[in-house]
Amino acid sequence: MIDRTVATNPRSTAEVAALAYDSDLRPPPFVDELVQLWRYRDLVLLLTGNILKNRYKRSLLGILWMLLNPLLQTIVLAIAFGALFQSALPHYPIYLLSGLLAWNFVTQTTQYAMGVMAGGGGLLKRIYIPRATYIVAVVGNGLVNSLVSIVPLLLVMIVFQHPLGASWAFLPFSLLILTAFTLGLALLLSTASVFFTDSIDIYQIVVQAGFFLTPIMYPPSVLPGPLNDWLLLNPFYLLIELFRTPIYANAVPDAGLIASATALALATLLTGWTVFTRRVDQLAYRL
Amino acid sequence: MIQIDNVTVRFRIPHERIPTFQEYAIRWLKRRGVRYADFNALNDISFSVEQGETIGIIGPNGAGKSTLLKVIARVLRPTRGRLRLRGRVAPLLELGAGFDYEMTGRENVFLNGAVLGFSRKDIARRLDRIVDFSGIGDFIDAPVRTYSSGMVARLGFAVATDIRPEVLIIDEVLAVGDAEFQQKSAARIREFRGSGSTILVVSHSPASIKALCDRALWLEHGAIRAIGPADAVVDQYAPGKPVR
Repeated sequence: MIDRTVATNPRSTAEVAALAYDSDLRPPPFVDELVQLWRYRDLVLLLTGNILKNRYKRSLLGILWMLLNPLLQTIVLAIAFGALFQSALPHYPIYLLSGLLAWNFVTQTTQYAMGVMAGGGGLLKRIYIPRATYIVAVVGNGLVNSLVSIVPLLLVMIVFQHPLGASWAFLPFSLLILTAFTLGLALLLSTASVFFTDSIDIYQIVVQAGFFLTPIMYPPSVLPGPLNDWLLLNPFYLLIELFRTPIYANAVPDAGLIASATALALATLLTGWTVFTRRVDQLAYRL
Repeated sequence: MIQIDNVTVRFRIPHERIPTFQEYAIRWLKRRGVRYADFNALNDISFSVEQGETIGIIGPNGAGKSTLLKVIARVLRPTRGRLRLRGRVAPLLELGAGFDYEMTGRENVFLNGAVLGFSRKDIARRLDRIVDFSGIGDFIDAPVRTYSSGMVARLGFAVATDIRPEVLIIDEVLAVGDAEFQQKSAARIREFRGSGSTILVVSHSPASIKALCDRALWLEHGAIRAIGPADAVVDQYAPGKPVR
């Protein structure tokens, strides 16, 4: 039986009073955005799911694309460079694919987030929602994509009979650190993309260069000596190693790497959130 | 209750468009600086609306009506000044905000509900009532891209007004859907009004402002020209215009 009456006031007075809004009493944006994001968590989850559904709903192979994409990328690169690095890197496709997974997660997600914000941020100038909603949803979608991509990785590992050890238990932590870094970077870059549209193009060049300057498809030993010393300053290298070592080397990354990658991710997240929330009230004016 | 104190909304409009690093850098190097013109869409506005009152907002295009509504809906945070209000704001200007046209009507009820700040559980509990009021019927499981614009608006209206909002923002004479649904939605708004919702109406029609509103606010160039009893302000704003 459907209740046809309009609920006149289902909430208690206390709840309504809690909805009182005073622009002067609002907590600082750094805190307020967090509170609002928590309040709208169902929206974030729904949007994360919708991005996934929309991306694959209308394509013929559907969800299979998510599995095939990294696999095809790996096959192409393994054909091109496999012979070159085979001796230094046995089971080269596993080295490659595990590196690619981490790299794709960070770069594709940040590029997507920039595009969404620069493209008007969807609803942000039409209705109130927490302004970080889309960015968080895009990062959530990136995380799900990475988790799904582990399936083709396992497939390749079976083909090559690569051992799957207890070090895999470390991977959730690697993904957590990767996600924190990606979210921080996405917040920073999305803010930049609203104020300077060409930051999208600049970032694209950085990503292209980064792909070749970071040991993703080659071992770090390939880089000439002086460059090798700089390697530890490449944030992408730290994060990729954090993800790749448990898979490829079957070992827990050493403490120094864990510490620096964690510090890097937390610093990026904190910086991203600070920059984003400081500009948050200007977004609706600028979009 | 809505209390607006000395609210200014300032848009910064660059004289020349400088949206890229490159141009910004060139300008900086040439030490020409970047010149902006400030434009106050709202200029030091103060007024208040009592709970349960219906107030009409009138004024020519570009007077700042939409900006004012965006401030009240918290889309724009005022550059200066203070906004206080109590309760949930339902902006009926954006019916079906966030609708994803590839998804079904049912999925969109959840999505739109989440955009309006309701939890998933809350919407699930009220889903049948929302769908029933919208009159969408069996189409609720069809993608929204197959809907007519009237159906989209009806579904959006049903979600936004399922629970009585304390503040309601309405654009023009709310013409949603067919004649039957218009009656239904008008009845619901009257019901809200009777139970103490504060209502803001934007309209270009002097007659409907007079018919609907207790008071009227006349905006021009971002400032208040007049505020007072609807009849008096409307007559001042549009003297001699025949009342339809």
